[in-house]
Parts: sequence; structure tokens; C-alpha cells
Amino acid sequence: MTVSVRFSRVIIRALFLIFGSFILYVLQTGLFSSFSLAGVVPDLLMILVVSVGFMRGRTKAMIAGLLCGFYIDCCYSSVMGIFPLLYIIVGNLAGFSHKIYDDDDHMTPLLLTAAGEFFYNIMYFVVFYLLQGKTNLSFYIYRIMIPRVVYTVLVSIILYRILKYTNLFLLRFDKEEV
Amino acid sequence: MKPKIKNKVRKKIVINPKIVFWGLTVFCVILIFVSYKFSDTFSSVKNVIGSVVAPMQKGINDLGDYLEEKVDHFSDMDELIEENKALKAQIDDLKNTNQILNQEKYELSYYRELYELDGLYDQYKKVAAKVISKDPNSYSGEFIIDKGESDGILKDMNVLAGNGLVGIVTQTGSNWARVRSIIDDSSKVSGMFLKTSDTCIVTGDLELIDKGYINVSQISLNAQIYDNYEVVTSYISDKYLPGILIGYVSDIGVDPTKLSQQCRLTPVVDFEHIDAVLIIIQLREQYDGISEVFKSDN
Repeated sequence: MTVSVRFSRVIIRALFLIFGSFILYVLQTGLFSSFSLAGVVPDLLMILVVSVGFMRGRTKAMIAGLLCGFYIDCCYSSVMGIFPLLYIIVGNLAGFSHKIYDDDDHMTPLLLTAAGEFFYNIMYFVVFYLLQGKTNLSFYIYRIMIPRVVYTVLVSIILYRILKYTNLFLLRFDKEEV
Repeated sequence: MKPKIKNKVRKKIVINPKIVFWGLTVFCVILIFVSYKFSDTFSSVKNVIGSVVAPMQKGINDLGDYLEEKVDHFSDMDELIEENKALKAQIDDLKNTNQILNQEKYELSYYRELYELDGLYDQYKKVAAKVISKDPNSYSGEFIIDKGESDGILKDMNVLAGNGLVGIVTQTGSNWARVRSIIDDSSKVSGMFLKTSDTCIVTGDLELIDKGYINVSQISLNAQIYDNYEVVTSYISDKYLPGILIGYVSDIGVDPTKLSQQCRLTPVVDFEHIDAVLIIIQLREQYDGISEVFKSDN
């Protein structure tokens, strides 16, 4: 395998990741805000980060997290860097599960998504509510966190399959190139 | 044989995820501080990316509206029949209310005349815009609209929906702008009771808006206010144009410090189903010289 083939592979994967996460971001802020349940939208970017972590390991999940956070930063944050940091932490933790990765395992990513979303929301609460002197955690949990986790998990049942087949397609593509 | 060995060696050179993690973490933390310190330089980066995203989001949003409409078509027949019954009952109710409101309208126009607000809204030049995306972190009162600097929209312009105040433009790109609504936790609007001219501060609260309210505080103890009084934007605000309706008050009481009164306010705008807004193409500074007097005082 020459260096150029190796390089082109990296480029293809990177393009898939960049466009994939971009499409999910646009869907999350645009399409799903018309389909919000109980005032919350599912966190598609979280599903992406966790799935990449489960399928490809820690490093790639962190890169995906950096990208996803960067999109949110660009449009919805006055200070840059907070959202990438949150997604990177989640990606890093989710990446540990790569050791038990199995093609037919559809349950683990759901649990991981739920855990990741829960963690993300807690961190979001600490950064954007607690530091502003808002301490009503129970309201936040019942009204935002739980609906959001449930909705995200429901969507991830479908989205994880799409991501998995994309991943398998990329892997097969690699083999053909060799 | 040689290249094979080379390959094996190359494959083993993998950066330790731990190092990647700490590297990225440090990068993000530095980015937080740098972007806080030099926010002007970073806003141009955001502008470029926002301009690319905005048209796509507009398309996706239209698709979403279309799908939502289709899904609504399939809602249950029973539900519709039941709703119809309820609505018929409501019509009678509303007819009654309408009559009362019509009477109050005369009263309102009288008060507007008193405050020289008559027809003030109509004088402002407005631009209509569509909401194309909402904050991905479900509970924040910010959204993005599909008009920007190219349509004459600038930072700090007031945003309306129907005849009520929605919020203020906080950031603009060439074809998009970010709006912070008055229900957002970080929003503070200087308001005034239309009937008594007492000033107050209208503070956004995402927790209370769940029940349909936001907070009003710092009302003078001497103010003679009652439920259902209108609150409009005040003359002393340096960002909001005066006389824009915010909402109606209720639950009036003395605040814990016993130095002022506080109450709740029901906004006239339905923030959950906001999809089209009007932006007033006039900044407060252009409105009159009042704001400059206040600025020089500070």
C-alpha cells in the first residue's frame, strides 16, 4: 500500500465525517425543530459522536466531537470551545467501548447514547445554568434532560443503523482499494 | 519482503488516544479564553460559516414544514371531530370575549393617544423574516432568521411577531442573523406600565415560560398596578424602541427585599410556535437623542 492510497483513504473518510456531521447538524437545528416533542429536539450529533466512538475508537470519536462542537459554536455560542470540549469528553469516554464492538450489537450504542446524552446535559447544566446561579436541578432534569435523552435514544435506533452501514461501506471500500 | 515489514512498522505508529484527548482539551480551553478575549476576530469566522449554513437550513426548514403539514393531515378523524366540538364551544366563548375586547380597544386607543404612541408601530419600517433554525440545546431562547446585513439588519435591532416584542438581534451575517428572545435567561428589557408609566425590568426565565410567564421586577412600591395591565418597552431603554407591547402582568407582590414590587408577565407572543418575525429597521440611537443623554450620564 503506497502512501498516496493511504492518504486518499484518509481524505475520503474525513470528507464523509465532515459532510455527515454537517448534515446532521442542519437536520437537528432545522428539520427536527418542526418535530420537537415536549419542546426538545433529539441530539443527532451526540448519536454520531457515540457511534463513531463505538465503531472506530477513541481518537476518531474525539475528532468527530471536535467537528460537531465547532458547528454549534459557529452559530449558537458567543464563546468558542465549550461545545467541542463537551463532545470531546463524551467521544473519549464512548471510544473505550470500541473494545467490545460487534457488528450485530445494536443495544450497546443505545445505552452509550443515553449515557452520553445524560452526561452532556449535566455538563450543559453546570456550565450554562449553575454558573449563572440557577440551581433548580430537578426542574431541569424532568423538563429537559429526561425528554431529551428519551427522544435521542429513540432516534438513535434508526440513525445508528444508517451510520453502521455507512461505516461498513467505508470499510468495504478500503478493502477493494487494496 | 522489505515493503511488508515497512507496512507493519507504519501501522503500529498510532498516536495514543490519551495524548489526543489532552491535546484537544487544552486546545479547547485555550480557544475559550482566546475567543472570549478577541471576540471581534472570531465573529468574522462565524460569519463565513453562518452564510454557508443559512441557505441550507432554509431549504431543510421548508422540507420540515412540508412534512409536518403532511403528518398533520393524517391525524385521527375522531380527534378532529372532538376538536370541532370543542372549537364550536370556544367560538361562543370567544364571541363574548371579542365584544369585551372591542370595548377595551377604544380604551386602549385613548391611552395610546395620551402617550403619543398612536400609530407608532406603523411608522417604523419593518422587514419580515423566517425563523430557519433554533438552538440545538433545546432550552435556550435563541434562534436564527433568514435575513441579514444584506437586507439592512444590524445588531441591536428590535424583533416583533404580530404586535408583540420577540427580542433583539445579537449577531448578524450577510444572509442570517441571530435573535435573542425576551424569554431567554440572559435577556433583560427595560419596560413600563402603559397606564401608570411606572418602569420595571422584564427578565427572561426559561423555567417560568414553561408555565407561560416571565419575570417582572424592580417596580416602585408606590406603583398602583393591577392584574392585566399592559407592559410596553420604556422610554429609557437604550436598545429597545419605546412603546412596543411586551405582555400583560399578573401575580403582583412585594419582592423579598421589601424595597420593590415584582410580578409575572404573560408575553403576547407565542414563543413555542414562532416561525415568522418582523425586524424594525431602525436603531434606538436613530430614534431620538434621548439615548445619547443617558449614555453621557454613565
